[in-house]
Amino acid sequence: MANKKEKILIFGYGKYGQFVAKDLRLKNYDVYIAEYNKRNIKRANEDGFNKVILVDIENDNELLQILYDNGFKKIFCVLDNEEENVYLTITFKAIIEDIEVISICESRKSERKLRLAGVNKVIDIIELAANRLFFLLEKPAVTYALDEIFFNDPNILFEKIVIPKNSFLDGVNINEIDFRKYKIIVIGVVDRELGDRFIFITKGIKHKLDAEDILIITGKQDDIKSFKTKLNESTK
Amino acid sequence: MKFSDILIKFAFFLEGSTKYQKIKLFFKNLLENESFPYKKYFDYFMIFLVLSSVAILIEEVRNPIDKILYIYDVYFVTTFFLIEYILRFWVYNDSHKIIIEEFETSAFLEKEFDTKRVVKEIFKKKFEYITSPLAIIDLLAILPSYREFGILRIFILFRIFKLIRYSHTITQFFEVLKSKKVELYTLLFFVAFVVFVSGVSIYVFEEKQNPNISTLFDALYWALVTMSTVGFGDITPVTQEGRAITLIIIVVGVGLISFATSIIVSAFSEKMDEIKIDRVLYKIKDLENFYIICGYTNLSSLLAEKLQREDENFVIIDSDEEKVSEAQSNGYLAYNADASNQETFKTFDFEKVKAVLILTKKEIHNIYICLNIRSFSKDVFLISIASDKISEKKLKLAGANYLISPHEFAGMFASKVLEQPYVITAVNDILMARKNALCEQIEVLAGSFLENKTIEEIDIEKYKLVLFGVLRGVEVDLKSKELKREFFFNPDKDFVILKSDILIVMGYSISIRYFRKLITESSIKDG
Repeated sequence: MANKKEKILIFGYGKYGQFVAKDLRLKNYDVYIAEYNKRNIKRANEDGFNKVILVDIENDNELLQILYDNGFKKIFCVLDNEEENVYLTITFKAIIEDIEVISICESRKSERKLRLAGVNKVIDIIELAANRLFFLLEKPAVTYALDEIFFNDPNILFEKIVIPKNSFLDGVNINEIDFRKYKIIVIGVVDRELGDRFIFITKGIKHKLDAEDILIITGKQDDIKSFKTKLNESTK
Repeated sequence: MKFSDILIKFAFFLEGSTKYQKIKLFFKNLLENESFPYKKYFDYFMIFLVLSSVAILIEEVRNPIDKILYIYDVYFVTTFFLIEYILRFWVYNDSHKIIIEEFETSAFLEKEFDTKRVVKEIFKKKFEYITSPLAIIDLLAILPSYREFGILRIFILFRIFKLIRYSHTITQFFEVLKSKKVELYTLLFFVAFVVFVSGVSIYVFEEKQNPNISTLFDALYWALVTMSTVGFGDITPVTQEGRAITLIIIVVGVGLISFATSIIVSAFSEKMDEIKIDRVLYKIKDLENFYIICGYTNLSSLLAEKLQREDENFVIIDSDEEKVSEAQSNGYLAYNADASNQETFKTFDFEKVKAVLILTKKEIHNIYICLNIRSFSKDVFLISIASDKISEKKLKLAGANYLISPHEFAGMFASKVLEQPYVITAVNDILMARKNALCEQIEVLAGSFLENKTIEEIDIEKYKLVLFGVLRGVEVDLKSKELKREFFFNPDKDFVILKSDILIVMGYSISIRYFRKLITESSIKDG
């Protein structure tokens, strides 16, 4: 197979884990699965995953060994049991500082716990599902469009762009720039001057951009790329 | 022609007359059907009559009343009460059906038509009505118009009792008491017994000695006042024997009062759940276009929060009492029932239901609910939660239109989190309408100022909106299944907007509302 993307360790191959694993495999990541439940391991094998590790999650040494042996930088804690996810997160964060832990949660309460445990990113499954249901019922066209943008069209990306010093955006009022010309959509700005506050573009205030401000944009992959190049070229 | 022949002919005439049936149904609805739209107004009118009549009675105590008011009270109010009484008497049952039934039975068995039995049956039914408590109150409320008999004036108070008919709450109170009929009768009998025995004894002992007790009525009055622990003290026993009796009835009285209290309290606590459900069902009947959410889980509560914010109507059904009270304490319409039970949806009008969401945690339960709802309505839009592909198949078979799988979301977002961490934040912020930035769909109405214009000409940024894209050829309807749609992401400036395109925009709710208003106005002007 063509050169694989980075190595990812996924804890758990249960209700959630299987979908995470399959998605990442589809996106060509090098997927490792750690599980303590033998039945889930069997299922993972059946689904064609061959890097499956049996692990006792309460044994710190064993966990460490797995991490060091393979040099994982990113870990998904997606066991079905939320408490175990929190426990794993806190364990990893306590031992290795610069590891990135991503987890899921089913309620706001457990999201808070995961955050306290030091998780880097949380996917709030239930919140997402509730939003989806709500939009499906009340705004079906929006649902369809967002599906296209976020999932179905791999060409459309969301990105952040840090404004380089002396570029053509530095020191300009945001309303004066026609972003349509570059075929990208600016959603909002994170302003350094205003204490890193995220401002939606639609607030319509005359916002002056400065170097180091962050633009959150969306657009087609190529358009974003060419916009970035133009932006960087203008600094010279 | 014999009397029986006339009866039968008349009965069949009534049965065949749609006009008669219609009129009778109208009055039956007006008087008895809670969900009949005009009943409310009829009730208000009757309540007004009752209250005005009582007000006149109070005024009359001190001042002679105006002639007009007198005429109003005696003739107008009474006439209406009388008409109401007669109508209720009429719609209570269908007498002609009794005749027809008897005729058919006799024809079938080749027997003589039994006129006597029929007449007896009709009288029995009507008598049943006349002797029902509410009918007695109605009748007594009509009597006071004969002002010549002073005593009858007290019956005007029965007009107040008439209010029972028109108030849902008071009716419910009596319903509750009805459930403890046996206990209450026992209590009443016991009270009557004790009052009688002690009253008679004090009369026997003290009639000569006590100047306050001169009749048996005095004695009974004293007995009840004492036993109820009210004890006015206007009559007190003066003999040793009398005091001994007093001691006994005081003790008995305390016991009886606590007995009475406990009966009423237990009746209410037993019926409270029923009353609550009754109230919810009563409210549901009034709802138009609402959602049914089965199961109050984390997901349901988040969804409910959003629906509530948008002023959408919904009902939550859960079989767990705790969950229901949790939902109710959040201010949602919820009640305790098993959604897989047929009885639960019997009273629902699925024409008014926008969609049913099945979100319980147990899959078997979800499938069962799906089937249950499909047995009531073939068309209602059904959304269910599903955990994997196999259960998706089962739920589709059970009749679900759309399936949502939270577990799959984990997969959908996993790679996004790694590659485009801002997607999650952006999606969340947009979808959750945090910071008041909404994502909305705006339909291009025929004749509006957007039609046949290019993106550049419209210059949507002017309205402080961001255009994500345009959806074309879409029938945006939940019920439409597969339809060809095309989504143009961030269209170029010379892209032409056509009518019934849908713009997907993001912006503040004020901007969106304003933009929508402009579209509607321009389409009306041109159209």
